[in-house]
Amino acid sequence: MAHRWGLVVDLDGCTGCGACVTACHAENNIPTAGAQEAARGRAMHWMRVERYWEGEYPDVSVKFRPVLCQQCDNAPCEAVCPTYAAHQTDEGLNAQVYNRCIGTRYCANACTYNVRFFNFFNPQWEKPLHLQLNPDVSVREAGVMEKCTFCSQRIRAGKAEAKQAGRPLADGDIQPACAQSCPSGALVFGDLNDHESRVARLSHSPRATKLLEDLGAEPKVSYLQKRGVHEPDA
Amino acid sequence: MSRTRNNPLADDLLRPLLHTGVWFYAAVAALGSVVACGLAAWGYQLWHGMGVAGVNWPVFWGFHETNFVFWIGISHAGTLISAILRLVNARWRRPVTRCAEVITVFALMIGAIFPIVHLGKPWLFYWVAPYPSARDLWVNFRSPLVWDFFAINTYLTGSLLFLALPMIPDFALVRDRSTGWRRRIYGTLALGWQGTTMQWHRLEAAMQIMAIAIIPVAVSVHTIVSFDFSMANVPMWHSTIFGPYFVAGAIFSGIAALIIAMAVLRRQLKLHAYLHDVHFDNLAKLLLLMSLLWGYFVTAERLTVWYGNEPHEMAVFWATQRGQFAPLYWTMVTCNFIVPVTILSFRRLRTVPGAVVASLGVLVGMWLERFLIIVPSLSNKQLPYSWGQYAPQPVELVIMGATFAAMALLYTLFAKFVPIISIWEMKVGNQPHPDAVTASEDEMSELWKVRP
Amino acid sequence: MTPVYALFDDPAVVQRAVDALREVGIADREIVVMSSEPFEEWEFSHRDKADWLYKVAGAGGLVGFAAGAWFTTATQLAWPLKTSGMPIVAPWPNMIVVFELTMLGAMLATVGTLLVTAFLRGGPRFYDPAISDGYILVGVAAPGERVATIAHTLTAAGPTRDPVPVQ
Repeated sequence: MAHRWGLVVDLDGCTGCGACVTACHAENNIPTAGAQEAARGRAMHWMRVERYWEGEYPDVSVKFRPVLCQQCDNAPCEAVCPTYAAHQTDEGLNAQVYNRCIGTRYCANACTYNVRFFNFFNPQWEKPLHLQLNPDVSVREAGVMEKCTFCSQRIRAGKAEAKQAGRPLADGDIQPACAQSCPSGALVFGDLNDHESRVARLSHSPRATKLLEDLGAEPKVSYLQKRGVHEPDA
Repeated sequence: MSRTRNNPLADDLLRPLLHTGVWFYAAVAALGSVVACGLAAWGYQLWHGMGVAGVNWPVFWGFHETNFVFWIGISHAGTLISAILRLVNARWRRPVTRCAEVITVFALMIGAIFPIVHLGKPWLFYWVAPYPSARDLWVNFRSPLVWDFFAINTYLTGSLLFLALPMIPDFALVRDRSTGWRRRIYGTLALGWQGTTMQWHRLEAAMQIMAIAIIPVAVSVHTIVSFDFSMANVPMWHSTIFGPYFVAGAIFSGIAALIIAMAVLRRQLKLHAYLHDVHFDNLAKLLLLMSLLWGYFVTAERLTVWYGNEPHEMAVFWATQRGQFAPLYWTMVTCNFIVPVTILSFRRLRTVPGAVVASLGVLVGMWLERFLIIVPSLSNKQLPYSWGQYAPQPVELVIMGATFAAMALLYTLFAKFVPIISIWEMKVGNQPHPDAVTASEDEMSELWKVRP
Repeated sequence: MTPVYALFDDPAVVQRAVDALREVGIADREIVVMSSEPFEEWEFSHRDKADWLYKVAGAGGLVGFAAGAWFTTATQLAWPLKTSGMPIVAPWPNMIVVFELTMLGAMLATVGTLLVTAFLRGGPRFYDPAISDGYILVGVAAPGERVATIAHTLTAAGPTRDPVPVQ
């Protein structure tokens, strides 16, 4: 059966440390906008950690929610792209083909999760930071949309490695940068079509929810609700 | 007979073509320099990237897209006046049709520039056109932007033809009355027109067909432009009202633009004998009707949203009614509804200056309406963490100003080279009826006086 | 063959002239009337109606419809890409493009036919710039031996300018 990549985010495990954000930047050659441009709303965090405060002092609580491209089955961003730069692959990934993008930014408006980012300027890396660019990932130019790809370069590499070694792909062979770097293991990636995989089992957990599920985009990222203080393990 | 000897119609309407005053050169120079500034601003944006504009995450569309919708909306003037009034044989349309059709063509051309200006990679704008490319790929017909490409091109082609066809007999007129280079150029443009019965019948049948065809195209164009918004699941975009709402708004702004253009023409070219107060009065009544219709659509939309109380939509709703966009919103309501309805409902206020004031207000209000459709919704989408702000940058303002100057410049140039009132259609309006009793010379000369 | 014509300035007189020409035996299709405005309500204008142009428009529309339907379907099948869970051949969006191409086909067919038949094929080989001053020209393109009769008939009708045999 074909793969169907998905991600589970355990909100109980997320500490809001931001390692996933940093790892994503490093892995995918995402430019840093700089303080001034970030203040103007030009920051590009393919993975971002949303932080919500609740309650009044001293009963304040904080919630962290890592938000990334939800790789929707019914993606609102795909149909509106005039040049097929956004389309769905056979493995359920929402592909963004940089070479087809002419920068209409319609997909970004249509995305209900605001997980698409635009290169407003040509990205620059001050020397010697250019040495840390990942050679497996392209550098995008001004005028092109980009977003989380579930580290498609790692998926491709993992599949190639398994094929070369002559063994089937095992659960945990492929880790996107965010999942690899999460210190609490809150991010779990894998093949939803493999019923034995962790991601498939966790996405069927009674704690599993989807972000903005009622909008019908059918995201493939599941969020496991935070357990209450006195709740038993699910 | 006085019919040919004393009729000043052709003389008056050809005078702008044959005599050029200093105002013309001054206007062209001034408007041309503003347009040049706009081109420079666009060059700046091309060189440095879209980041010099004010758009950001999450407000990815701003002034450029507002201007796009605004100008395409203005282009609905010609269609309403020319096509619909032609089909119902309204006599008072005759001096007004070409003025209106010219607005359509130029507003469309200007509007059609913005899909190129707003692109991240404008040099690839032709990728929305379906052609066998080396990428082995055709366009995505599911995208409203591709629908825009087909709709706007069809409408532009249709409007150009609709404008050009009735110009042929007038070109023949200029050809016959001029000499030298003018005679050669207008002779070519006249395509050998002789005015035989056969040619008249074919021309008029073609114009009738174009009038019938252009109306559904015009309705579809602005509906499809509205689909650029309503097809996305953005709060207060994803509404079924957008199609009719945009079309009504387009006709509304188009009539306002037409009234202003006609008032300027009447003054500059001294066309008081042809553009009578009754023309402005009729158009002002249409403007009043469209203002009421606009009020109806806005009420219907807002009441539905408020009554439904859906949290995502209410965030945008309150942002426009009471929040940061409230000053713009209430200005829009004043300009689009309160002022026009007040001025245009009372005959004593519904004068030519009154109609022009109301029209200027409508243009401001309709521009604000486009802005308030785009930016508040994008600023307040479903996830509050990603709400954002938009502020226009100088580049966007300069380009916008240049489009207004470009419209005025193109119009001025057109009125210099083509009679702005269709001479032969005016003559038809003054024709005697075959059943009219043949009267004396004096009575006949009364008949040949120019009438609306 | 030199055409003969006269210039009138009153459509009622033109009507009399045309009727007179018919009485002396000139066929309708030989009578040429040229003017700087159409005279739809006068009988002398009732020949050469162009209602067939509507059928041309309809045919052009059908061609546009077929072209649009084929084009959208064929290109979507040629490189099938999944977007937003919509079908590969999406009828509703395609319908919009097909509509526009239908209308474009109708408009281009109409104007193209007009240009080819009314202009490029050419009309009568004579003209008088006085028409642009508001005169109406009535004449016969190929009078043959009937020149004298025609000139006499036209003069009797009361033209503003006397008949001219074109050199």
